[in-house]
Amino acid sequence: MSRSVFSDRHSARLFGAIRYGLLLLAAFLSVFPFFWMLIGATNITADINTGKVTPGSALFDNIRAFVAQVDVPLVLWNSAKIAILGTAVTILVSSIAGYGFEMFRSKLRDRIYTVILLTLMVPFAAIMIPLFMMMAKAGLIDTHLAIVLPTLASVFIIFYFRQASKAFPAELRDAAKIDGLKEWQIFLFIYVPVMRSTYAAAFVIVFMTSWNNYLWPLIVLQSNGTKTITLVVSSLASAYYPDYGVVMVGTVLATLPTLFVFFAMQRQFVQGMLGSVK
Amino acid sequence: MDTLPLKTFALRAALAGATLLAAAPAFAGEITIWCWDPNFNVAVMREAGARYTKAHPETTFNIVDFAKADVEQKLQTGLASGTTNALPDIVLIEDYGAQKFLQSFPDAFAPMTGKVDYSGFAPYKVELMTLEGKTYGMPFDSGVTGLFYRRDYLEQAGFKPADLENITWDRYIEIGKAVEAKTGKKMTTQELNNGGMTRIMMQSAGKWYFNADGELDVTGNAALKGALEAQAKMVKAGIVKPATGWNDYVNAFTSGDVASVVTGVWITGTIKAQTAQAGKWGVAPTPRLDMAGSTNASNLGGSSWYVIESSKEKDEAISFLAEIYGKDVEFYQKILADRGAVGSLTAARSGAVYQQADAFFGGEQVWQRFSDWLAKVPPVTYGIFTNELDNAVTANMQALIAGKPADEVLKDIEAQAQTQIQ
Repeated sequence: MSRSVFSDRHSARLFGAIRYGLLLLAAFLSVFPFFWMLIGATNITADINTGKVTPGSALFDNIRAFVAQVDVPLVLWNSAKIAILGTAVTILVSSIAGYGFEMFRSKLRDRIYTVILLTLMVPFAAIMIPLFMMMAKAGLIDTHLAIVLPTLASVFIIFYFRQASKAFPAELRDAAKIDGLKEWQIFLFIYVPVMRSTYAAAFVIVFMTSWNNYLWPLIVLQSNGTKTITLVVSSLASAYYPDYGVVMVGTVLATLPTLFVFFAMQRQFVQGMLGSVK
Repeated sequence: MDTLPLKTFALRAALAGATLLAAAPAFAGEITIWCWDPNFNVAVMREAGARYTKAHPETTFNIVDFAKADVEQKLQTGLASGTTNALPDIVLIEDYGAQKFLQSFPDAFAPMTGKVDYSGFAPYKVELMTLEGKTYGMPFDSGVTGLFYRRDYLEQAGFKPADLENITWDRYIEIGKAVEAKTGKKMTTQELNNGGMTRIMMQSAGKWYFNADGELDVTGNAALKGALEAQAKMVKAGIVKPATGWNDYVNAFTSGDVASVVTGVWITGTIKAQTAQAGKWGVAPTPRLDMAGSTNASNLGGSSWYVIESSKEKDEAISFLAEIYGKDVEFYQKILADRGAVGSLTAARSGAVYQQADAFFGGEQVWQRFSDWLAKVPPVTYGIFTNELDNAVTANMQALIAGKPADEVLKDIEAQAQTQIQ
């Protein structure tokens, strides 16, 4: 009897150790690239090539070289403009759609919804060229509007808001109606505040996707003045003899805003992922 | 609840957002150029533009840099969509990929036959941009190859620079064995998963993976067979220090681990960056295959400028390229001195920079030598599937080294390549 208790405890400890071991390994794998990026920004290319993992003294030289090659404020402004405006409008449009799909009943509702979900299965590469032709016809090539427009109705975010709306109490809407609120007022003054952690989570997701978006901006943007930071870093990294220290400075700069947004909204993000309405 | 101001606000915000996002400048008389590498191609193009603007002040240049793969992706999308106003006036294309673009998009690029004097360029650079009798593009940087070697190691092993002139790969292997016996250093290094050496050897004999008609030429290709056998022989003779990846490869010769390397002229800057090794290096012609038709000259890499046929600035773009890249010898001195760029205009050799003796290479006139070899690189047709063939070759290299007969390995390569290119 006592022996079995002992062995149970023993095996529980063992499993605990294995579990923490695996978690540590996963944490290491997730954190190491960031660590390597920060270390790289302080080293010269030759040291980065040999795999030096200790901080060097070239940080300021790398920053200076980066600033000399790249119009940093302009590039960050371009990225920020696309990401912030794009995210705001995407969330507005997609959350209205998600709200509508859940609140309004009709025979065709689920058929239309299924078709919309099916479009998730069409890879972007397949629609890239037709989309490009549309943008060219509309005279939007080399504008940031061309990047934002195709993302405004995000199927994933519509889906996400519809799922979250299932937990939105119908009584609230009924009560608001009785009080004489119009539909858009219910949406704006009842739904949005109640669902704010869903909004926060959606903001983090859309902002990160938009900030890191690469292929489409690459195709649409044509001049140095409109380029985003991801395009600039990619260009620096593809030189015949890339200055990796400078590339790392660029990568840090390109990563910081998403990190900032994530940490600023971490609590709401986790809550939003678990479901907004308690 | 006051709803009006809210509506107006939303409308205003949306309008402000739209105008903020839609501003795009465009004006005439501007030549737009797409290329990669800010410190090389962009810098060279800026210099070219500045020279042209002196005589044509009304012309401005807009040089946009993207990653190399990105330039290709954008060009591909723009051409495939038929949206010509989304294309630049001039674009840089890597030589190995030129035929792919020329053949996939007929009439997309402007032929320059008759507008550019191509006889002034290395013939192989002209051949790779020629399709059905028309020549497209302006030849730019060359990857003419040479044998870069450590004088000190070879001297220790009893070899004089003259012993390395115009040798065969068999002789190279013999020398390599002697060098290792005397100095303990391997003769060379190679990235075994990289097809570069096969390409160098094959082109030295005027052959490629494809014949002049673009058909696969593998099983009956004596030069390819010779190239594979020579590499297997080098590995078996133990004169190669294997490298895993580019950095390892570069490190092998810059750190003094190996006595020589055969590669493109563009490596010169990397070698000369090792200032402590000044005077210890030399250059010799690329070894040749032991077969009729093989020369002591070849090429690895390089790229060229192309003008888009539908471009509004087409004529000006062509006359710009013809005036600067086509004949400005001083321009070629400047880009060699500032950026280490070796162009393909053979007349450039008459300039001061090309004639300089370089103490780093023991006082040799290295640029004169490269210029000699540049003119001798055999022209070949690169075809449109070079990368696919490279993969098939490197995948089968180990079997050859392990002792499989070369003819059978060639059959395997051909079979594997056919599945990939169809």
